[in-house]
Amino acid sequence: MTRRPGLELPRPTRRGLLAGGLALGASMTLPGCAYIRDDAPTDAPLPESAKAEIDGDLVYFNWADYLAPSVVKGFEQEYGVKVIESNYDSMEGMYAKLAAGNQYDVVFPIAKWVVKLRQEGKVRQIDHDQLENAHQVFYSGSYFNNPWYDAGSKVSIPFTVYKTGIGWRTDRVSSMTGSWKDLWNDEARGHIFTLDDQDEALAMAALLLGYDVNTADPSELGDIKDLLISQKDYLRAYSSDDINNMMSGDAWVHHMWSGDVLYLRQGLADDPTTFDFEAPSEGVPINSDTYVIPTNAKHPGTAMVFIDYLLRPENAIKNMHYLYYPFPVKDALPAFAELAKDVPACNVEISDLENENVFRLLSAEETQRRAAVWTEVKAS
Amino acid sequence: MSEVAVKRRSAQRTSLWGWLLALPTAWMVAFFVSSMAIIVLLSFGRTTNDGYPVFATSTANYRAIWNEVYLELFLRSLTYAVATVVISVLIAYPVAYTIALHGGRYKNALIAAIVVPFFASYLVRMYAWKALLSDDGLVNSGLRHSGLTDGVTFLNTPYAVVGGLVYGFVVFTILPVYASLERLDTSLIEAGKDLYHSPMRTFFTVTLPATRAGLYGGVLLVFLPALGDFVSAQLLGGANTYMMGNLVQQQFAEGQNWPLGSALTVGMMAALTVLMVAYLRATSTQRRES
Repeated sequence: MTRRPGLELPRPTRRGLLAGGLALGASMTLPGCAYIRDDAPTDAPLPESAKAEIDGDLVYFNWADYLAPSVVKGFEQEYGVKVIESNYDSMEGMYAKLAAGNQYDVVFPIAKWVVKLRQEGKVRQIDHDQLENAHQVFYSGSYFNNPWYDAGSKVSIPFTVYKTGIGWRTDRVSSMTGSWKDLWNDEARGHIFTLDDQDEALAMAALLLGYDVNTADPSELGDIKDLLISQKDYLRAYSSDDINNMMSGDAWVHHMWSGDVLYLRQGLADDPTTFDFEAPSEGVPINSDTYVIPTNAKHPGTAMVFIDYLLRPENAIKNMHYLYYPFPVKDALPAFAELAKDVPACNVEISDLENENVFRLLSAEETQRRAAVWTEVKAS
Repeated sequence: MSEVAVKRRSAQRTSLWGWLLALPTAWMVAFFVSSMAIIVLLSFGRTTNDGYPVFATSTANYRAIWNEVYLELFLRSLTYAVATVVISVLIAYPVAYTIALHGGRYKNALIAAIVVPFFASYLVRMYAWKALLSDDGLVNSGLRHSGLTDGVTFLNTPYAVVGGLVYGFVVFTILPVYASLERLDTSLIEAGKDLYHSPMRTFFTVTLPATRAGLYGGVLLVFLPALGDFVSAQLLGGANTYMMGNLVQQQFAEGQNWPLGSALTVGMMAALTVLMVAYLRATSTQRRES
């Protein structure tokens, strides 16, 4: 699983694999008894922050190929340490490995998983005073001084932000309207894809109906189910492999992630104008990836140095040109605006972050109720 | 050799076998039986509010799987699996027959040529299919160039899912059929011909019955993984090709409902056991009759 701009055959993206076949690996690596317990701790005291000092090689746990290799190599050379890489293919798989006691120095959870890890005391505090570049993300007025998922940014540092909208092939479809209704576009009937992702699919329908993206209300879920089933006449498939589906001509209209559109345009397409992206007017889900340091990390000091190194604007810019997702690093923002200047909808603004269309950590009962609806939609 | 010596030797043999069996038995108990037991126990469990699966004594999961939608999925999966078996047999038998009876000194090379591609991960091969069969893929480009059609929608159809399953598992039919054809005494076929049977009749009255065991085995080896598979439907399927495997996989991942996933697994195993018993009884009666 590599993702290199300019490669002829696009490979599945890491989010594509989130729901993709490699979930096979995830379900196989879930540990048995270690995960089954009755006394899940909540609001445990947060372990102290480490000092930003090299204390060994870095054991790094992330989506496959989710940092520019040149940046990782640069870290190894500058600090004379090795970066030992491990990958996960779903947040569930990541969480299960941490819960089973596997030791990693730095992990990249999506926002709502930060909530869970913090509640359970599985991550350390990160002292901003230890990081030379902390001011790049925590400055006066920064959204990340107090993000919804981590009060006071005690345990997490923001990595990337992204939104979910609709991408389309301009050479095939000319009747886009800027609404989530475009996923019911007659012109693209049979060539429409919805993300194979419970939260994203339910959120898209919820926004169209004017409901909260996290709704677990049975009657609202009933409406969402009916709406999504009505979409099946237009759908080709549920898939999160958005880049490949668009490149291969199977998809003309795709429910997709902002950075993937930019990657298609800038990194893969012969003619970037073949692909466009809209952030529907009913509102779009916003999400963040973060850095955290697990409580049981063996080299938390090296992890602190690594995070600090990644916050350097020049490194954020290198990563942006590799991943095509915006990094909320102050001095790197103009470079991303430049990268996304032809499709500003791919950029994520402060106003987007404050729109509250974020995926929250729900109770198991609520998650299961939502899962049941999503299952019925896919199965019917 | 005296009778006593024979007896003693056979007793020794029995105890040796007993010892040899100890290791696999321990292995199976430790890794197979225990994990099955966890699944069965968990199927009566529930999920805590923090998302942890815990053991309990609830039958709610079994009531939940008694759902029309799930039944439909089971029937759909069954249809795909049966189609996969039929196509696999139609492919496997002629291939195995040709190699076993006409392969000559290339036999092993030919078998290797069939087996080696299967060393590549099933997943990678599915991705390769995606690249080949997409709307702008190699096959469709070829079709368009030839002027035959403007392109065919292969991907995201039930045909693609069944095709993926066949491609994924056909080797498991080829090998056992090949093994039984290899052992077949070809003089039987000649005898059939000598008795003025047509080649067709010789095949159906001599060759086929003689290789039944391999064929039955091959059928099972394809049917079982095909029925539980989720990769093919996930990667090659469309909006209406969801299978049981996808359903179970979803409960263990996004759905955060291991107990329901376990109940579905146990339910499916129960249904399969009934099917298998029926199949084995039917095939063994047939064998006795022949």
